Amino acid sequence: MSKITKNQKGLQFLLMGNEAIARGALEAGVNVAAGYPGTPSSEIVETLSKVAKEMHLYVEWSVNEKVSLEVAAAASFANLRALCPMKQNGVNVASDFLLHLAGSGTRGGLVLVSCDDPGALSSVNEGESRHFARLVEIPLLEPGNFQEAKDMTKWAFELSEEIKSIVMLRSVTRMSHASGSVVYGPLPDKTAKGYFKSDGFILDPDTGPVISAPVGYKHVVQQEKVKKAREIFESSPFNTYEGPSMPELLIITSSACTLYSREAVRLLGLENRVGLLKLGTTWPLPPKLLKKHLSATDKILIVEEVLPFLEENVKVIAAEEAKEIGAKTFYGKNDGTIPMNGELNPDIVIKAFGHILGVSYVPMTPEYEKKAQLTAFTMAPNREQTFCPGCPHRASFWSIHQALQIDNRQGFVCGDIGCYSMAALPCGFSTIRTLHSMGSGLGVASGFGKLEMFGMNQSILAVCGDSTFFHSVMPPLVNAVHHRANVTLVILDNSGTAMTGFQPHPGLGVDAMGGEAPPVDISRVCEAIGAKVEIRDPFDIEETRNTLSRLLKEDGVKVLILKQICALSPEKKGKKKYTMSISETLCIGEECGCNRLCTRIFRCPGLVWDKERKKTRIDDVICSGCGVCSLICTTGAIIRKEAV
Amino acid sequence: MEITIKGQHALHEEVRQAKFCTGCGACVNLCPYHAAHGDQIVMLHACDIKEGRCYAYCPRTPTDMDSLRKQLFNTEDMMPEVGAMKGFYVVRAGDEKLRSGAQHGGTVTALMILAMQEGFIDSAIVADEGDGLLPKGITVNIPDEIGKKGKSRFVVSPNVAEFNALAWVGGRKIGIVATPCQALALGKMRAKPVPTHAERIDQLKLVIGLFCGWALSWEKLSALIRSKGVDLKDIEGMDIPPSKYQLLQVYTKKGTVDIPLDEVDPACVRGACHYCPDMTAEFADISVGSARLPEGWDVAKGWNQVITRTSLGEQLLALARSKGVLEFRKVPKGNLERLKKASMSKKKTAEKNLAIRNGQPKDNINMDSQNPGLDNV
Repeated sequence: MSKITKNQKGLQFLLMGNEAIARGALEAGVNVAAGYPGTPSSEIVETLSKVAKEMHLYVEWSVNEKVSLEVAAAASFANLRALCPMKQNGVNVASDFLLHLAGSGTRGGLVLVSCDDPGALSSVNEGESRHFARLVEIPLLEPGNFQEAKDMTKWAFELSEEIKSIVMLRSVTRMSHASGSVVYGPLPDKTAKGYFKSDGFILDPDTGPVISAPVGYKHVVQQEKVKKAREIFESSPFNTYEGPSMPELLIITSSACTLYSREAVRLLGLENRVGLLKLGTTWPLPPKLLKKHLSATDKILIVEEVLPFLEENVKVIAAEEAKEIGAKTFYGKNDGTIPMNGELNPDIVIKAFGHILGVSYVPMTPEYEKKAQLTAFTMAPNREQTFCPGCPHRASFWSIHQALQIDNRQGFVCGDIGCYSMAALPCGFSTIRTLHSMGSGLGVASGFGKLEMFGMNQSILAVCGDSTFFHSVMPPLVNAVHHRANVTLVILDNSGTAMTGFQPHPGLGVDAMGGEAPPVDISRVCEAIGAKVEIRDPFDIEETRNTLSRLLKEDGVKVLILKQICALSPEKKGKKKYTMSISETLCIGEECGCNRLCTRIFRCPGLVWDKERKKTRIDDVICSGCGVCSLICTTGAIIRKEAV
Repeated sequence: MEITIKGQHALHEEVRQAKFCTGCGACVNLCPYHAAHGDQIVMLHACDIKEGRCYAYCPRTPTDMDSLRKQLFNTEDMMPEVGAMKGFYVVRAGDEKLRSGAQHGGTVTALMILAMQEGFIDSAIVADEGDGLLPKGITVNIPDEIGKKGKSRFVVSPNVAEFNALAWVGGRKIGIVATPCQALALGKMRAKPVPTHAERIDQLKLVIGLFCGWALSWEKLSALIRSKGVDLKDIEGMDIPPSKYQLLQVYTKKGTVDIPLDEVDPACVRGACHYCPDMTAEFADISVGSARLPEGWDVAKGWNQVITRTSLGEQLLALARSKGVLEFRKVPKGNLERLKKASMSKKKTAEKNLAIRNGQPKDNINMDSQNPGLDNV
């Protein structure tokens, strides 16, 4: 039995934020959880999938976030409780359905958990998902600590059923992936039965069809729900205040920024001067509560990530109440006190105090900062982003790069999202030249592939992973084939959704709960769409390069599937196919004729340049034994032997 | 003259980007950072070595010609118009069958076969064609096979790349058919400018140079030929007869196709060739070209003019004569003068083009990489 399913009220555990959210859903009696892997949200579905059988849950890794929300919504329509977690840009993918779902309403409690990534620690954007709540007009909750992550998730289901609307719960990386103490509540007996009643009166939310039309009527109903939530929020225990009754400065904050703000106040000993209003219900804002706190001070500092969402909404209330409460001075992002981008930390809040209250606190003297930077630069080992030892992507991009250079037509690769996104960097020989969102690589390439009539003569490639293929690459593939774009799609099939933790996807024979599932064959899908398909092993770099060189010269849509399982997959991890060694007599290292091709360009972490001996050597601990480096060495100095 | 040897970046900037690259292949197969694709040289990855063999061997980087000539040839043999000359001959292959399979008099083919049979060389590097006229160098180890690769190409085949690959393996005696720029590159290599792997050039035993006016760009030439309705797979050979004919003749399985020379020159000419002052492959052991005879082109097209430059060249030719491998005829009066005039004309054109490019009327030594060149590379 997992710690997450212990049914004993009052038990205390150290839980990751995502685990706390999962526990909260369990305490709410959740029946269905569907999502698409996305950092920092993935552990929520993972945690629930591990206990699915025990807790009689249906847990699914859907093909993309839009479908995952649809799957969760179906459960809600059938009077069951459903949870749908995703990362911030997953909400963008699901947004069209979300808009209509907000209009149609829900039945069983439905909670959308959006995990934002301020600072883009694991993303190529730091887009904010909070605005969706305001945009599609649904309530928004933000837990400010790990206990709240559990409690608010549980309560979100109750709120959702009370107003018959989807409720959005927003977390951030530092909440989802950090850990804290959580006290358990009881687990309920689940008696819910799934049945979709839809033959009632057309406008009846419980028995009629679930449609967002007639819009005129339904939109009004939807806005009433939001108003009701706002009433409830006025007395929510998740909005807390700590500090003097008439603070010199009021901080309004939410989410992980609560912790930064609290720490900053404590560090400077400002508990008597600064009040902290932590909001857990951040859309719609409860106006009475805010009016009460705004009137107790003249200065307000709003600390939040990433954009001034709270700030601008608070200012609206302040403007509306100005006649009664007077004009206030606001500090936040719009006036530059807090940065408009990136992740925050206690030092940033401390700096704001310095600016507003005139307190000085230097976290680091300039001399120390300079010394630290110099030391880091000269003495810390180079830690640029790179592929794992044995990663098939390194081999794939080696061949792609060679093929493009030899093709000599200034060809380029439109990239997509996954570990292979790093091919925009030197570890992938800087081959990727455009990078946006899931499935966009081929979409953009499909556009480039039609520009020949304007004189564009460059070779166009797109890359995507196997999971990405199912997520959103099929539509642009149809587009490219039907519109006869001259593009080559390279599908990097490493048999899993690797970047986010090796979750399964429809191309594999297993589902989220570990059960058998029929795999969907990528090559046959591509052929059915009308592309020319070839499959190769990227570890055979010569064959891969020759195939790609040939395909680049052909017209039409070509798909090259490079199939080799991820180095970190359970099947491969810890097993070496080859034992690697270096012949020091053959290694010419820095000389003209090599110039450290393996350690300077190829740069697998398993290859180390020995500065004293001026030779390459193999780090046996890191080396995964894939053998590819021996194929690129020009003098045959890297030797591979089949491991016994 | 003080020469600074630089690295790949300078090579890329001063030669490739400046469109001076002749596609000779000297920078390829020395290391993993360059590759040849047809008649183009491509950079695979960036190399930061300060003094590279690629830069040192390239015929288009600054060269101390005087010093090089002194190293490779006898000063007494030097002729300013056509380089070192020990002897000047009009010859053709003695074997009629060999002649029909080769170009013009079949002299290059015959000499290479002789050199291999006599043990001067064990490997011959000649030009070959891949799909659709795409040039590449290949190594041939059997005398009979040399005869099969005897036709002329008008697109540069990066033969020096093949030499580099072969020399890397080691233990060979290599003969090579070279254009003037390739002979120059090999000459620079013979001078051993960089110590790294310098001994590899010792495997080069024989350079047979080809007279050359210019080379054609593969991309432009194949497009032109295709536009005349010729399937590149059907091509058996090509020739450019003496200038009065103003033709490029393409011999196909379905017959000969005549293309007016003005569609070929200058439209398909490789831009870098406009700056070349070497018509007779001055850095080879033996240089061979087509002959001019009083009987006219119909007869002359079956003969070659040959310049021997080194004692090896003389030795090989004498051997060819004694074994009947080559037939000799008396050199017509005025032939050498005509050749010198033609060669000087190319030198003057090169000088003029360089001057235009550099904006300096007297500058015929420095190729100004700052001035972007012509469209065809």
